[in-house]
Amino acid sequence: MKPNFIQKVTNWGNFPVVEKEIKSEDSIERIKDFVRNNNEVIARGNGRCYGDASLSEHIFSTRRLNKFISFDRLNGVIECESGVLLSHVLEVIVPQGYFLYVTPGTKFITVGGAIASDVHGKNHHAEGCFSEYVEEFSLLNENSEVITCSRTENEDKFWATIGGMGLTGIILSAKFKLKNIETAYIRQESVKAQNLDEIFKLFDESESWTYNVAWIDCLQRGKNIGRSIMMRGEHAFKHELPKKMQENPLRLKKKMIPKIPFYFPDFLLNKFTVKLFNFLYFNKQQQKMVKNYVDYETFFYPLDVVNDWNKIYGKSGFIQYQMVIPKEKGKEGMEKILQTIAKSGNGSFLAVLKLFGKNNPHAYNSFPTEGYTLALDFKVNSRLKKLVTDLDEIVEEYGGRIYLTKDSMSKSTLTNYLQNVQNPKFVSMQHKRIMNSNN
Amino acid sequence: MIVLGSNSEIAQAFVEKVLEAGEKYQTVFLFTSNRETTQKFAQHIDVKFFQQTEIIELDLMKEIDYNKFDDITSDLLFCATGYLGEGTDEALYNNKNTEKVIDINFAKLVPVLNFFAAKMERQRSGTMIVLSSVAGDRGRQSNFIYGSAKAGLTAYLSGLRNYMFSRKVHVLTVKPGFMDTKMTEGLPLNPALTATPRQAAEEIYTAYKRKKNTAYVLPLWSIIMLIIKNIPEFIFKKLKL
Ligand SMILES: Cc1cc2nc3c(=O)[nH]c(=O)nc-3n(C[C@H](O)[C@H](O)[C@H](O)COP(=O)(O)OP(=O)(O)OC[C@H]3O[C@@H](n4cnc5c(N)ncnc54)[C@H](O)[C@@H]3O)c2cc1C
Repeated sequence: MKPNFIQKVTNWGNFPVVEKEIKSEDSIERIKDFVRNNNEVIARGNGRCYGDASLSEHIFSTRRLNKFISFDRLNGVIECESGVLLSHVLEVIVPQGYFLYVTPGTKFITVGGAIASDVHGKNHHAEGCFSEYVEEFSLLNENSEVITCSRTENEDKFWATIGGMGLTGIILSAKFKLKNIETAYIRQESVKAQNLDEIFKLFDESESWTYNVAWIDCLQRGKNIGRSIMMRGEHAFKHELPKKMQENPLRLKKKMIPKIPFYFPDFLLNKFTVKLFNFLYFNKQQQKMVKNYVDYETFFYPLDVVNDWNKIYGKSGFIQYQMVIPKEKGKEGMEKILQTIAKSGNGSFLAVLKLFGKNNPHAYNSFPTEGYTLALDFKVNSRLKKLVTDLDEIVEEYGGRIYLTKDSMSKSTLTNYLQNVQNPKFVSMQHKRIMNSNN
Repeated sequence: MIVLGSNSEIAQAFVEKVLEAGEKYQTVFLFTSNRETTQKFAQHIDVKFFQQTEIIELDLMKEIDYNKFDDITSDLLFCATGYLGEGTDEALYNNKNTEKVIDINFAKLVPVLNFFAAKMERQRSGTMIVLSSVAGDRGRQSNFIYGSAKAGLTAYLSGLRNYMFSRKVHVLTVKPGFMDTKMTEGLPLNPALTATPRQAAEEIYTAYKRKKNTAYVLPLWSIIMLIIKNIPEFIFKKLKL
């Protein structure tokens, strides 16, 4: 049996699917050789980007770069290899009274993926992106050298790599700061909004909350457009928790995670079922406002409670469309977008609205800019390309842009914002697609 | 805990499993032929579990100074040393390869296992968990040098278990089938028959707690090997396995 590294690979949206070389190593020397001997290499973490960002001719999987390196328990600074999952970081730090400053809506992503996409959470308006808390990382660059990058050492590479989508090299390890917590629980308020006016007002009123997010029912039309539930939260202090939670406030019970065993048949997810889901979701909550305490997993990672949930979209896969529209015109733009979706009949199970705060001007490749951001899941079908084109038009009109880590078919003028990343060594299918359609 | 072959992904997953289960050891002794990569693992479990470790160099292909191991004792030994070498097609008549495969998997390993077995015999307690292989269950044309060395190891372990029974030491023989590790990366393995190091660690841990004598990592393998072992020789010799 001779090794053959060609495999079927696809990311979270199961679209596109390609057959490419995928290799994983933990020896730096062998990783260097791999980079030296190949062009068109891209790093891949846990494949939680949706489209073609971590696909290329030669994929280097970081799954074997999975070791912790150090943990300064006094000052809350942790260092690990780039393939360590945020879920594993949390397992180590939460019982010690620490949390991630910034976490996306799933904990099953790697530290390398968090830097390369410069991920944001529900707290962008208050605490910015993941990169704000990164002290340094080591990068294997196009010359197969390992360099340390920080705000003072190789700064140009440091900032180009943040949000650079793997195009500057392979991040091998990283050191980042953690936030103090007293408990593993969140004080949460969920507030219902009947329409866009209400939800935008809620965002304004909630600006002093650390975490804010709204789930939108995007099949509503007319006066109900923008019907949603806003969830805001703060890390709970021990004394405010109900008695039962106070006993062991930093430890959660292990939960069983159910798994979707196979791809759902295509007919299962349609306009009707999405409507039903949104109806149930919205009406689950009777009162206008509910206040409670939930553990951090329930608050931050509601989607992680089912493994492989991406299979409900069937074999043809799905995309996530996430854009940002500058704040001043945010409401107007969102209204147009929601109208277009409702008209298209392409329902989105999951539509999440957030408010981004000011961007970090140093992190020029990072996606977030001040404004409203909406993320929507769409099943891949024959009408989708048209919908994406229509939505792209609106985003362009309002001067917004698309989140590269979710993109697989958007217009190149909305997705070509990366700077200082061009080299023939590190190339992704996404970058090629964008660059080719540019000229 | 004593770990032989600390760079093995299965050994590392097992150490993590045991520590996750809440077991504490004064020191985990990590025997390895590659100090640098084992150092990474040692730091890793220090961060994750606050566990003290000691790295000890052991290269089975070199002279071993047993005096250095005098103070090392534990109730649990996990051995994952192994060497696949080249298969039949590439290297049947390559004596260097043959010797190395037999030395690492059997000839040079058994004295080391005996050394720690003697300590457990004196203690009258302990468990030795040793990875052998399904390849040792019956010699097949594709890799019978490796298979025969593992067959030798399996026979040694079964004898040792028998000898140690009255001396209160338990011996667990583990026979992993296909594993999803560095060793097999890129090989066209059937996912249903291939276990991850993590899965292997879970199975081995359960077998250890239940005081099993032998364990296949995926239960399916016990059935497959039962069939393979029972194919009559006059048919077996004609098969391309
Ligand atoms: C359910 C769900 C919810 C999500 N919620 C959010 C959210 O709230 N906010 C948000 O910002 N994102 C969110 N995401 C997107 C996700 O956080 C990013 O796509 C993240 O980058 C995925 O990390 P990964 O480790 O899986 O990397 P991959 O998906 O494998 O790769 C993503 C990008 O990072 C690069 N990369 C990965 N590892 C390295 C490395 N070691 N060195 C260099 N480049 C590397 C790849 O080349 C690629 O360009 C969500 C995704 C899912 C599935």
